[in-house]
Amino acid sequence: MRDLIKEFTKGIIKENPTFVLALGLCPTLAVSVSVANAIGMGVAATFVLLGSSVIISLVKNFIPNKIRIPCFIVIIATFVTIIELCLKAYSPVLDRALGIYVPLIVVNCIVLGRAEAFACKNNFISSFFDGLGMGVGFTLALILISAIREFLGSGQILGHTLIKGFEPVFVFGMPSGALLVIGLLLGLFNLIKSRKA
Amino acid sequence: MNIQEFLSIFISSVFIYNVILSRFLGLCPFVAISKDTKQAFAMSAAVTFVITAASIVTWLIYQFLLLPFHLAYLRTLSFVLVIAALVQLIEMVIRKTSPVLYRAFGIYLTLITTNCAVLGAAVLNIDMFFVNGKAVPGSFYYSVFQGFCMGLGYTLAMLIMSGIRERLELCNVPSALKNFPLAFIIASILSLSFMGFSGFKF
Amino acid sequence: MRNNLIVSGSPHIHKQESIPRIMWTVVISLIPAGVAGVIIFGLDALWVTLVALVAAVLTEIIFEVLTKKKITVMDGSAVITGILLAYNLPSGVPLWLPIVGAVFSIAIGKQVFGGLGQNIFNPALIGRVFLMASWPKYMTTFVKPLSYDTIASATPLAALKEGKILEHISYLDLFLGKRGGCIGEVCILALLIGAAILLYKGYISWHIPATYIFTTAVFTYIFGAKQLFHGDWLFHILSGGLILGAFFMATDYVATPLTAKGQLIFGVGCGLLTAIIRIWGGYPEGVSYAILMMNAATPFIDRYTKNRIYGTS
Repeated sequence: MRDLIKEFTKGIIKENPTFVLALGLCPTLAVSVSVANAIGMGVAATFVLLGSSVIISLVKNFIPNKIRIPCFIVIIATFVTIIELCLKAYSPVLDRALGIYVPLIVVNCIVLGRAEAFACKNNFISSFFDGLGMGVGFTLALILISAIREFLGSGQILGHTLIKGFEPVFVFGMPSGALLVIGLLLGLFNLIKSRKA
Repeated sequence: MNIQEFLSIFISSVFIYNVILSRFLGLCPFVAISKDTKQAFAMSAAVTFVITAASIVTWLIYQFLLLPFHLAYLRTLSFVLVIAALVQLIEMVIRKTSPVLYRAFGIYLTLITTNCAVLGAAVLNIDMFFVNGKAVPGSFYYSVFQGFCMGLGYTLAMLIMSGIRERLELCNVPSALKNFPLAFIIASILSLSFMGFSGFKF
Repeated sequence: MRNNLIVSGSPHIHKQESIPRIMWTVVISLIPAGVAGVIIFGLDALWVTLVALVAAVLTEIIFEVLTKKKITVMDGSAVITGILLAYNLPSGVPLWLPIVGAVFSIAIGKQVFGGLGQNIFNPALIGRVFLMASWPKYMTTFVKPLSYDTIASATPLAALKEGKILEHISYLDLFLGKRGGCIGEVCILALLIGAAILLYKGYISWHIPATYIFTTAVFTYIFGAKQLFHGDWLFHILSGGLILGAFFMATDYVATPLTAKGQLIFGVGCGLLTAIIRIWGGYPEGVSYAILMMNAATPFIDRYTKNRIYGTS
């Protein structure tokens, strides 16, 4: 049980996919304009991570080693297609906001990375918790970045105005602001790391 | 199909919606390989080639396989597999026909399989040049041209970045910002300056 | 007698120049344009300039204290950045705007790269482009010249972009600065006085400004009007931030090419980009974007225009 909790929590801080491993940054930057989009993306990615981790850990013994990567990609793409269709059916607004970044979960390095580094070596229960932890870590990182960007870029968080009279800094809603925020956050994490060491 | 359409595709995919600086596709190699100009150029040449080839192949598959058989929902799955196969094929052909070229950018080809820029370009082409499940006039040429221009945009960003980062080797950069963080900050400034091209009209 | 001769590497001739001396001369050369700005737009222009200047200097001090570096404020480079930023702002902006811009210029534009002599881009322009993207409303509200009131007025270039007819603006008005615009860019006469000081002292060379202005003129002459070869090139030279940009911002020592050949390429590039943005772009003015883009290309230009070392191939 303790091991399982460890598999779960490592993805959130110690091996956070975004800030520590610097994986899967493309969607992180693209959809972090608003917290709502970030949560949507986080949930979608977590679903794909969970599903693919569990299935891969279950079928790992039947897959020949040589063609494992294509097989992983097929499994991942299946889950991505499921989430794509669900989004189109139930939340067309979110689907439009996330755009091409939903199909692009297929090539998100976090998903394939976990399949290759964890799920194909472990049983399905620990893979489940590993996938969940990574998914939650990814979602939290997305929420952090999008909260900064939405607040600075529009003065609001989830549509609520926080400070009256605050003049929104439009640039944070633009691609340039996303790159700036992630650069400064990565720098901050480096600083904290070097202080600790 | 007219010249203006091509011009606006060129300007928007090279500058305004630059793959890296605005769409954030292919960021991982952008920060990882952009330290050295030679490598950066080899990588971008490989990406440009593969994006263009993938645009051709995925368009054909979508138009003549997925649409007639009502399989559009298999787009993501089929595109990923096709791109992976295509990259493998290109790698084999290059290895057999031109060992020199293979040595120059062979290793980057393997990396490109999971480069989101390639899949992103393919998906974008379909999103932009198919309306209501039908190809717009000139759709094929637009797709291929857009793929190629996205590759050019990728090359431009990579080359600029590698030039700057080579110079930064001599600079006294604050230690917490070395490498990744500074690369992102520079990308942010580049993205700001490319905004000068927004709202282009001919 | 053996070790009496000390042989050191070149250069052997010492000139009484130093970074602070050059920088403070640049500051002096910028003063005429500022005075003209205050005369044209009133005291607001002075406050904006002072606030930007102080904010830039303070940011530099704070940053260098935090990172435990030598305090280098007295070299005058932060002062220049502050002034140049203010010169690129309209006079009617709220005073927090130049503060935010100056902090951004110094922190992101300069200190992040390691401080003086290491910045890739012109810091003042980074600040301006940042403000332009963040608060376009303030950045494009210009005050009418010589009215000392907050009557909004469009810049000549913006009017041209919107297809309005330019009424009552003669070339002389443009030359003296009787038009809407940013604080330091309007009075061409004052800018040329400053530029003359720098050219006379040899602190800037003619290569970049000359090629920059010439290219813009040629390109706008050819493509500036509906018919080819009918563009109003003199208007394009005298309006907007071209003169300020060409003499004071495109000549930044650090962010521009080292060799004369490189500088010619740099100037032509700036001119082309400026003209292209002015004629076909969404913004009326392209000077800041053009210079920043060419700054980005500078390491490349430098590599391919390096002087050949004598004796090597």
